[in-house]
Amino acid sequence: MDVFIAEQSWLLTAIIFSPLAGVMLLWLPPYGDARGVRRSAMLYSLVTLGLTIYALYAFQQSAPQVSAGSPGFQLEQRASWLSLPGDDFKPAIDISYHVGIDGISIWLLVLTAMLMPLCIWGSFSAIRNREREYYSLLLLLQVGMLGVFCSMDLLLFYVFFEFTLIPLYFLIGIWGGPDRRRAANKFFIFTLSGSVLTLAGILYLAYYAYTDLGYITLNIQKLTELGQTGFISPGVQWWLFLAFAAGFAIKVPLFPVHTWLPLAHTEAPTAGSVILAGVLLKLGTYGFCRLSLPIFPAASRELAPVIATLAIIGIIYAALAAWVQRDVKKLVAYSSVSHLGFCMLGLFSMKVAGVNGAVIYMINHGLSTGALFLVIGFMYERYHTRSIDDIGGLAKKMPWMAFFLVFFTLSSIGLPGLNGFVGEFLVLLGTAISAGTSDMRPAGPLGFGYVIPAALGIILGAVYMLWMCQHVLFGPLKEPPNTPDTSTGLTTDLNKREISILVPLALACVCIGVYPKPLLNSFQVAIEQHILPLGTVYATDIEPSRGRYEIPIHREPARTQHVKHARIINNLPDVDSSAKIVVDTQRPTDAPYSFPMSQDTVITSAFDLVKTPGADHIE
Amino acid sequence: MNDTSIIMKLLPEFILLLGACGVLLIGVTRASLRSSITSLVTFLVLAAALGASLQAGSPEDGTYAHLGLWLTSLTYYARVLTLVIGMLLVLANWHQPASTERGEYMGLILLSLLGLLLTASANDMLILFFAIELVSIPTYVLIAMSRLDKRATEACVKYFFLGALAAAILAYGLSFLYGAAGTTLLHHADANGVSATLPAGSAMSSEALIGLLLVLGGLSFKIAAVPFHVYVADVYEGAAAPMTGLLGFVPKFAGFIALIKILAAFQWDLPSQVMWLLWILAAASMTVGNVLALLQKNVKRMLAYSSIAHTGYMLVALLVGPIAGRGPLHDGIAALLFYIAIYGAMNLGVFAVLTSFRIGEREMETLDDLGGLSRRAPIASLALAICVLSLMGLPPTAGFLGKLFVFTSAFSLSTTHAFHGPLIALAIVGVLNAAVAAAYYLRIVAAAYMGEEKEPAIASGGFPARLAFCCCSFPMLLLFAWPIGLSNQAQSATSDIVATAQHSNAQLAAVDSNIALADDAALSRILDEPSSTNPTSAKRDRNE
Repeated sequence: MDVFIAEQSWLLTAIIFSPLAGVMLLWLPPYGDARGVRRSAMLYSLVTLGLTIYALYAFQQSAPQVSAGSPGFQLEQRASWLSLPGDDFKPAIDISYHVGIDGISIWLLVLTAMLMPLCIWGSFSAIRNREREYYSLLLLLQVGMLGVFCSMDLLLFYVFFEFTLIPLYFLIGIWGGPDRRRAANKFFIFTLSGSVLTLAGILYLAYYAYTDLGYITLNIQKLTELGQTGFISPGVQWWLFLAFAAGFAIKVPLFPVHTWLPLAHTEAPTAGSVILAGVLLKLGTYGFCRLSLPIFPAASRELAPVIATLAIIGIIYAALAAWVQRDVKKLVAYSSVSHLGFCMLGLFSMKVAGVNGAVIYMINHGLSTGALFLVIGFMYERYHTRSIDDIGGLAKKMPWMAFFLVFFTLSSIGLPGLNGFVGEFLVLLGTAISAGTSDMRPAGPLGFGYVIPAALGIILGAVYMLWMCQHVLFGPLKEPPNTPDTSTGLTTDLNKREISILVPLALACVCIGVYPKPLLNSFQVAIEQHILPLGTVYATDIEPSRGRYEIPIHREPARTQHVKHARIINNLPDVDSSAKIVVDTQRPTDAPYSFPMSQDTVITSAFDLVKTPGADHIE
Repeated sequence: MNDTSIIMKLLPEFILLLGACGVLLIGVTRASLRSSITSLVTFLVLAAALGASLQAGSPEDGTYAHLGLWLTSLTYYARVLTLVIGMLLVLANWHQPASTERGEYMGLILLSLLGLLLTASANDMLILFFAIELVSIPTYVLIAMSRLDKRATEACVKYFFLGALAAAILAYGLSFLYGAAGTTLLHHADANGVSATLPAGSAMSSEALIGLLLVLGGLSFKIAAVPFHVYVADVYEGAAAPMTGLLGFVPKFAGFIALIKILAAFQWDLPSQVMWLLWILAAASMTVGNVLALLQKNVKRMLAYSSIAHTGYMLVALLVGPIAGRGPLHDGIAALLFYIAIYGAMNLGVFAVLTSFRIGEREMETLDDLGGLSRRAPIASLALAICVLSLMGLPPTAGFLGKLFVFTSAFSLSTTHAFHGPLIALAIVGVLNAAVAAAYYLRIVAAAYMGEEKEPAIASGGFPARLAFCCCSFPMLLLFAWPIGLSNQAQSATSDIVATAQHSNAQLAAVDSNIALADDAALSRILDEPSSTNPTSAKRDRNE
């Protein structure tokens, strides 16, 4: 069975492009009526979901071997795109279509695949014009999002990352609210301005890696290795980190570049809001997590206080801004800004617990905020208003709606037992222990000082969300005239279709809240291997300065957290025998070591270095 | 070297020349005949020339010093590209001018394309000058003929006077170069062309420097670079839409080929004043073009300013030149050739869409005219969107790869080169400009997909124009997924030019030493992927 699964390299490609195949089928004759279009779009998104669940199964089947030290990306597939073999005159290029998943991306993949059918189903009654285009764009958007999470090549990542702009631009601009064109333009220009700088950063990184490796590569694993082994100088890391952050921070969105988000959320159609909050914002945090942290560790450490401060300003500011909103949708949009601040805080604690919390926060936020947007969308279809001033006391009239609104509000504000709590707790824990070295990693950049304002943000979050629930659901009944509008066949309370859309999301919230272990374990393996690699040997000072050394680290299974031995392979043919390698094991108890470089120096353990003949301990 | 072999080698050019004469003759036949077959004959002439070019292949050693020609791999690339885009141009122009003038119109298009082919073969400064004028002079007439409108006449007059001035500047500059070098040949195998006789770099004599600056000035007009751009918007607006598609590609391509040839003659070893001049031209063209385009409401004027910005992007690649190393990610010239091929198609695609509709009796040209197009003509607006997104440089279109190659080449100049820093700055100016450009390109897409229909667009231009925009737009997606074919062609097109430029260049040494230092093990590892490093196969082994 394992062999069978290992060979399924086509699976990710099939998942990424299955919505595209769906789009093509939607446009093939015979053109069905609108109902047929809706149903087929739903069917195609379910096919993608099925394939993704199969990928999850395949991933879990082979997961145990991953923790034993293999590279840890699975279901890899690789095909030449811009790759060229080199010759005497030109260097080789390794820029390929390269997909694979690890413990983080598989769950984001599942989240994306799960939200899409629900969004499509939720649009059945809300979207009544140009339906074929609408569902095609939703499916195209899904291609971009799935692609980002699977990419193992930086340029491919960027391509999918940018591609998501196009369908969402049309979704907001055509089917949005009254101010849709301005919202769509603002969304597009804001995000593009940041990501062109990311592109410049990517290209410079390719050039920089080329000067070191001698061939051009944008393989994320290779770049991670370069970043982790200290081959990217701190000054370059600093600039590249900023270039990458320009694109990702706008997407997250981090204060003060969040201003596009409330507008885009408010004007977008319900499905657009759900996808925007549920998945697209995660592209930013995922970018920080997958690229910035591992490739630029020194710069991340150095700039973490700045990012964390911005995140905390965002948490508090967006919470206060949400509190004064009269538009329910805008309120939830601001709550997204606030929540994503927590995510950033967890990531930049640079501790396994914090990053783990941040990743599960991404999933949770996708589920609960996505669901909140759906509920608000269902309400809007009936009342044609989102203003808190116009509606009130709906709980009596719409008990189901009230139940789900309260449920997802509680999930969103982190009630213990529901999913939000797990993420919040881990993020705050990670931030608090960031300065310590209890997880065998170097001391992180944050500390307890960041926890207090963040915790204040949680309280504010509870205040404005519950305030919103209170005004909408309880108190005297208040309805605009001629509503609820049941002319399109809707019932007063949620109908069966709408309830069926919300139930899976609610179940997922409960499951993660009660038993988050499978997710956390899966994330932990990936984080320890790819995001914050453990026991990395930093070759801090290598003479001669040109050339390159392979320093693969063999570890015992992830739990035990000890450097077993490092193997220094010298691949310079004409190396000076007096040259020395300085190795910093980054273990808190070890000081850096230096030893003469010869062919195949084998260090059996960090401690043994002292005993290696000729190795001298430098203080 | 006998004469027949030269005729065979220059067969595409001869076919175009004879074809142009033939089409001109059709122009004086019966009206019914000429209105029906002129465009078709023109198309077939171009197809025949394309067939001949492909048949001839890339010339091995084509120096014809006594004719002032040098047939290189660049010639081959330029021939194929010109003829393919030329065929698309004819499709877009199929029904364009009044049938009474169609023979002359199509004949002049062929002559202009012939000038472009000769530019790509020229090795003598005189031939180069004549070829460039052969590109330009027909376009003056074509603009006036393209539609019966006072604006067309105005555009023609403006373009003619400024063009004549630019030609004079160019000729003056070339005469200085001749004076400095003592020969009009740019490159000669026996080492007595400009490339061998003129000292380059800081040793360049002041005559040669003046000559080079004047040539750059004259050619900046052809490629529409700032500050020689003032005519562009009026001329684009005045000419008919399909003619504008030609103006955006043919003179620009000719100008860039001439620039490549002149700079290659100096072995890309330019004094720093010239480098900075090109730097400023590139930065100013990108910025001025994009900012002015933001202010436009007329799609043709908008694209006129965008063409200035695209000239700026291509100037970045020209400035890098071949000295950063080879491969499409290093070689600026390969990047430029890739870019201009993409640009020619996507730019023409937009104009072909404009050609395919009219609003009442007038041409579709403002943003308001595009309103509601997506409901009336879904395929045309999809093609328009693809072309515009490609101009914007967004994936998944080939325009993205064009920008990618250009900016990567700017990054890959060795750190020891004096222009390493300035070029990185220029690339950042470039990517920021790409974001600015998105703002106005989006308006075109938004108008077509989200705008309200004011006056209905009526299909005109017929099947050929529709075919033209389909051929210009949808291949942009395919080229994105499989760019290697075109990028390899662009790469091999530079080999002869680069070979002359690289010998004396100290930069190359640095690049070579980098490659020599490369980790051989790592190099071989990525080349025999996926067999060795694929974890799934390793896993499989363990299980067995």
